[in-house]
Amino acid sequence: MITTLVICCMAYDTAFVHVPAGAYRVGQKGHPVNPLRTVHLQAYDIAAHELTNREFAAFVDVTNYVTDAERHRNALVFEPGLKEFRWKEDSTAFWRYPNGLGRGGIEQKMDHPVTTLSYTDIQAYCQWAGVRLPSFEEWEVASRAGARSTYFWGKEAARIGEYANIWHGNDHLQADSSDGYMYTAPVGSFKPNPWGLYDVYGNVFEFCEGHLGKETSVHARGGSWWCSTHACNFFNSVDIGSVHPHASFSNLGFRVVKK
Amino acid sequence: MKRYLLLLALSLPMATMAQDEIPAAGPASIAYHEYRMKESVPPYGLAKVKALITKINDSEETTALNAKDYLGLSLREKFTYHMIHAESYSQNCDIVLPEPDEEKKIFAYLPSVFGDTHWSSRQLDFFQSNRDSVLALIKESANRSKRTGLNYKHALMEMHAVEAIPFLAEFYQRDRKDHDILTLLMLLMKESRYAPFLSSASYTKLYSKESNYFSYLQDNKANEDLIIKRATDFYNSRK
Repeated sequence: MITTLVICCMAYDTAFVHVPAGAYRVGQKGHPVNPLRTVHLQAYDIAAHELTNREFAAFVDVTNYVTDAERHRNALVFEPGLKEFRWKEDSTAFWRYPNGLGRGGIEQKMDHPVTTLSYTDIQAYCQWAGVRLPSFEEWEVASRAGARSTYFWGKEAARIGEYANIWHGNDHLQADSSDGYMYTAPVGSFKPNPWGLYDVYGNVFEFCEGHLGKETSVHARGGSWWCSTHACNFFNSVDIGSVHPHASFSNLGFRVVKK
Repeated sequence: MKRYLLLLALSLPMATMAQDEIPAAGPASIAYHEYRMKESVPPYGLAKVKALITKINDSEETTALNAKDYLGLSLREKFTYHMIHAESYSQNCDIVLPEPDEEKKIFAYLPSVFGDTHWSSRQLDFFQSNRDSVLALIKESANRSKRTGLNYKHALMEMHAVEAIPFLAEFYQRDRKDHDILTLLMLLMKESRYAPFLSSASYTKLYSKESNYFSYLQDNKANEDLIIKRATDFYNSRK
């Protein structure tokens, strides 16, 4: 048996992790939408953290951008007591009040990931900031940090609590703050993956570029604070979700890649 | 400030670092999955409703029919509108993919309907406010098409339509193919907190803390008959 030691240099500053160009294995054998395959990627620099409320506020301050949720008053929010996969329409919710006016604002949460944005809103931010979303494959390669298993640490699902802000309750009828957070956590509150990316699993779903057959849908990965092992279970490097491009949920966010 | 990190990546043999595998769904399972996901299309004012939905889909600004057009629909046309168009959104991970032996399983929950969208409050209110009519139209349409689509099953669940149990039990037994009808019967018993069901082994397997959203019972005639008998007993106990 041959073990090959590959040494490469990865440059990063406090905000971005450099991923070298190369061939990478992604997907999972037997997975209906993310089959096992080799992809060839150009080098890219991906944010170590999910984009924060502070960063999005800077964009709005300059541009006066109005989000989909503000224009259409159709954001979907969560509160304990809802059945699995059920969310509430809340006309008062938008990124400054991710779960509606009555559930509090982000004043004390500027270092949390920004949420309650649609894919369309995120495109506007990226254009202004001169960044882009990662492709499915770029996101997956960065999240795996060299691993070929479902999780970047291996197969043991039980270790998720070390690395991710997720929902530990058996259902969503009762609040769960057992890991310190019911909704989002400040970015970087949990241990990073071996390449220095924080919150690749949990905290917020992260939008990616790419389509899975249906051009009208967009996709986000990595699971969120809402996701539990009982329902969803998407906090891994394999699963890919699907959402409407104008949908604004309080568990959907993003991380960026340098252009 | 830029720093440089030396990354050591061990490229181990495939035997020790093989990507986890999951068994793939076979042709029969994929065919059953597609069958499960099919929605019923009501015939009532279908052309008119489809034309209105096209107008919505052409707009970047809304997913819902405006009040004037909506109020101009008859009850039957509103029924069609709600059954083929959802005005709100569903969660990113609210998707169910084909899985091995899907046709041999009776699941704890119904798969989500309408893909990226879900019924709005206005639409859910319509089902409750017009309960008897909605139930009658579902029966009429299902009998005509010989199919209770996923949208109809979701509507019955949203309405908590316990009164539909005899219809569902009889409908299932026509061809015993659509196991999600059995799922719906169990969900109606669960939501009603029907004691004999709550204390059953089936409930423990599907809805207890040991279960998850994707739990299932093995499909066999004994399980099918047991679910139908329990649901019928539940229905009769309410009289």
